[in-house]
Amino acid sequence: MTAPAAPIARTVTTPPSDSGRPPLRRRRKPSVHRALSRALIAIIVIVQVYPLAWLFLTSLRDEHDFATGDPFALPKSLTWENYARAFETGDLGRNILNSFIVTMGANILIVLLGMMAAYAIQVLGFRLSRLVRGLFLIGIIVPVQIALVPLFIDYSTVNLLDTYQSMIIPLAGFSLPMSVYLFSSFFEYIPRETYEAASLDGAGPYRIFGLITLPLSVNTVVTVVLVNSIFIWNDFIFANTFVLSEELKTIPLGLQNYIGAMGKVDWTATFAAVCITITPLLLVFLVLNKAMIQGLESGATKG
Amino acid sequence: MKKLFRTAAVAAVTALALAACGGGGASDPSNVSPTGEIKPREISWLLSRPADGAVINIMKKLADDYAKDHPGFVLNLITTPDRPSYIQKLETLAAANKLPELFDTDATPFAQQLAKQGKMVDAEKLLKSLGVYDSYRPGALDYQRFDDGSLHMIPFQFELEFIWYNKALLQKAGVSVPKSLDDVPAMCSALRNAGITPIAIDGQDQWPLERYVAYQPFRQAGPEFIQKLKKGEAKFSDPAGQKAVQWMAALGKAKCFQDGFSSQGYSDAQNQFTSGQAAMYNIGTWELPSLATDKLNPAVRDDIDFFTLPTTEGSVTAANEFVSPSGIGMAVNSRTYDPLVSDFLKFALEKYPSEYAATGALSPTTNVETVVPANATPLYKKALEKANDLGDKQAMPWDTQLDPTTNGRLQQELVLLVQGNITPEQFISTMDSTVVQNAPKFFK
Amino acid sequence: MLPNRSRLSVLVFLLPPLLLYGVAVLFPIMQSLFLSFFSWNGISDMEFVGLANYVRMLTGDDIFWRSFLNALGYLAICLVLQLGGALFVASLLTSLRRGAELIKTLYLLPAVISTVAIAFLFVRIYSIEPVGLLNQLLHWIGFGGLEKAWLSDVNTVLAAVSAPEGWRFTGLYMLIIYAALLAVPKELEEAARLDGASRWQLFTKIRFPYIRPVWITTTIMATTYGLRGFDIPYLMTNGGPGQSSELLTTYMYKTAFTSTDFGYASTISVFIVIECLVAVGLILLMLKRKADA
Repeated sequence: MTAPAAPIARTVTTPPSDSGRPPLRRRRKPSVHRALSRALIAIIVIVQVYPLAWLFLTSLRDEHDFATGDPFALPKSLTWENYARAFETGDLGRNILNSFIVTMGANILIVLLGMMAAYAIQVLGFRLSRLVRGLFLIGIIVPVQIALVPLFIDYSTVNLLDTYQSMIIPLAGFSLPMSVYLFSSFFEYIPRETYEAASLDGAGPYRIFGLITLPLSVNTVVTVVLVNSIFIWNDFIFANTFVLSEELKTIPLGLQNYIGAMGKVDWTATFAAVCITITPLLLVFLVLNKAMIQGLESGATKG
Repeated sequence: MKKLFRTAAVAAVTALALAACGGGGASDPSNVSPTGEIKPREISWLLSRPADGAVINIMKKLADDYAKDHPGFVLNLITTPDRPSYIQKLETLAAANKLPELFDTDATPFAQQLAKQGKMVDAEKLLKSLGVYDSYRPGALDYQRFDDGSLHMIPFQFELEFIWYNKALLQKAGVSVPKSLDDVPAMCSALRNAGITPIAIDGQDQWPLERYVAYQPFRQAGPEFIQKLKKGEAKFSDPAGQKAVQWMAALGKAKCFQDGFSSQGYSDAQNQFTSGQAAMYNIGTWELPSLATDKLNPAVRDDIDFFTLPTTEGSVTAANEFVSPSGIGMAVNSRTYDPLVSDFLKFALEKYPSEYAATGALSPTTNVETVVPANATPLYKKALEKANDLGDKQAMPWDTQLDPTTNGRLQQELVLLVQGNITPEQFISTMDSTVVQNAPKFFK
Repeated sequence: MLPNRSRLSVLVFLLPPLLLYGVAVLFPIMQSLFLSFFSWNGISDMEFVGLANYVRMLTGDDIFWRSFLNALGYLAICLVLQLGGALFVASLLTSLRRGAELIKTLYLLPAVISTVAIAFLFVRIYSIEPVGLLNQLLHWIGFGGLEKAWLSDVNTVLAAVSAPEGWRFTGLYMLIIYAALLAVPKELEEAARLDGASRWQLFTKIRFPYIRPVWITTTIMATTYGLRGFDIPYLMTNGGPGQSSELLTTYMYKTAFTSTDFGYASTISVFIVIECLVAVGLILLMLKRKADA
């Protein structure tokens, strides 16, 4: 609050169109403010990112240094040995592959079925479409945990326990509603005339879906896939409940494996393993983050 | 909509009925020598042991040897070392009627129900028919027995639990090894006053703290106390229970365990002891490789020793009777038991003890001599020798005895009691009513 | 509606998604409801017990009520961190000319990491022996007296397990709110500024009403995600010490898969479903009414 009186007097004479380049006196107050917000942002970003940086640094320390030294000082020496140990004791490659299979499988279902349902509801339309929409809303609201006991029983009767499907089905099922909503809000923006023109040319609902809706939806597909991948890639609860054998364990379960005999933990190797397992998704995220951020922003603001 | 709901409900009923009826078809669990041809196939063992530990490595090797003469045989080992996760897996698989040929379990109430339903082969008959029964340590087999004396699990280990201590730290605080359990709280206070953490404990896994609550009743009332307590026939409000609860509260008051112990893990606790910060550490012989060899931090190597569970005045159990578990046992699924499983077990159980003893561990049998590793400290041999001089009774870990709900509640309430968040009276009334509510379901 | 559509084509497009959704979501909800009237431990015969499970849950189970209150506390902390934090950071970001893209990316990073990793990480951060990040930080800034084992203290553990969940997703909500804030027409803001509106007034009178629809969506998202919180408390403390960080979801899970009390666990599931529906109903009622007023 340096010069409170002056700006008001000034603004009267300043035409609105000039707001992009405010006069000198007005500039001072916002710049203090701006410096403050920059500092705040910096602090918040540090809080947000520091734990991850620490995770990475710890993965490079040797075991003795970690156990006895100050855990927050910079490592005395860097070693990749933890990574070697992590790969040796764990089955990380397989875990990553499994996570990849489950994520891909679920995403295919989510995108394809979500698009189909949205097409039926939004484009084709039918009498009970409001009801179906409401039915899908339930899936957004209820927590996934309620499906654990029933699905476990069902899987054991139809022999699906300990399979990729046992993870993919509920993961896809619970993500489907969000996908349906994202697709139908996108379909709203495809002009009616496009469809009508195609209809006049004699195209049926299947051809319109294949020739118009599908190609136009690429951006929404990217959004849906990326957002869901975060949750599916890291799913712990379904995998933990339905998967039994080593060969099917996904990344979260693979990490759990590091809790060795009777809870004994090799911490530095665990940190290394954590770093290894977050890398694939992190890379995808960093490469595609623009697309994803855009999709998230537009998806949510429309919804 | 309505139709969908109705179909769903009908399907639910069928699914559940199917699941519930799936339990049938168990073959006679007392028929231990099935006749017929040995047809090699893949069999699975669901187990809860360290992934690269001795048991798994040896059994893998033995399975490979067996497969040489029996092409097509594969032993598929599925391990979940984290015990709570394992128990969950086992219970859910049993509910789904999907137990594999071999599976690990302690002598829990849940396992007893499985045995009652005839899902586990009678291990006593099995071991006798294989001609190996007499070579097992009686204590190792007793640890696996249910309360009715029946045996359904086969042990693969034999361990002794000691209280390890750091002589230099005790000396610094001017205290000596406790003669009685009742001396421990005062000892902790003295250590605290000297700025030393008295006991390092892995609070995260909960079973280590649960050991402590078992000690006083074992000394005061013997091994029968927990057998009665779990059925609701004995109570925490009985003298032996009272004493246990008051003692736990006293341990908490004297700040016996490290600060924030309830969120510290297995290796945290061991690190505190082996780095010379904590004076005592209660652990079994499975940690001999890290506590009694040259792997141990040289700074404390000469100061480490151990004592066995102290007695108390008027103790009904002797000094050479304490926790001596034979580890989680292996049960044989009676539904899938056939000449192949029988033949493989005969092959493996005969060869296992000598292979196991060669790794420096105590075999559950008495027919082999444990090989002391070359890098061992004198403590290693001293620890092994304790196995030759054991009494008839053993203290059972309570987590293998109580029903799962009571056990979970006990673990939670114990932390609160030791942290001073609840009074002994609150603890007693909560636990006694928990037992009353949950025990009948498991022990009817 | 598309002119050339047939009843068959609607079914072709609608049935496959409904089938998956029914199998994975709707059918299990019905099954839970069904199971909640039974007593069943998975290996013995099922026994119909009528409303006994509900009576036990509502009148005779102290852990249930404790976990319910904990779940509300957990939700409150998550909402403050996620929505409050997101709104605050998003507002700050709008004043930034350059670097917003980078900050958005950095801010979103924790969302990519698995809860197992996050739980490992935060157990270390809260630790006191060896001293963890939080206690170290308190020591440095002169609040050494506040150092404690955050996960062992019954008074702090709930906040301590909620914070990572808040931390994890605040970036996601920030993005959404930031996009909404950018969409606020500049002319409106400029006009208000010319009228001498303070920053606070600008926010409450112009910006917030404009983003209210998005705010409702994000509130519902954050609430339903908060109510389904499970992994982090389960992995960090398993509900302890005592029941101090037990949530309805973790309690339900343990009842089912540790105590093998599938009937009673289903009863708790039914309660959770109702709880979520009520919560979303309340949010819509409160925020919509405000908008109309």
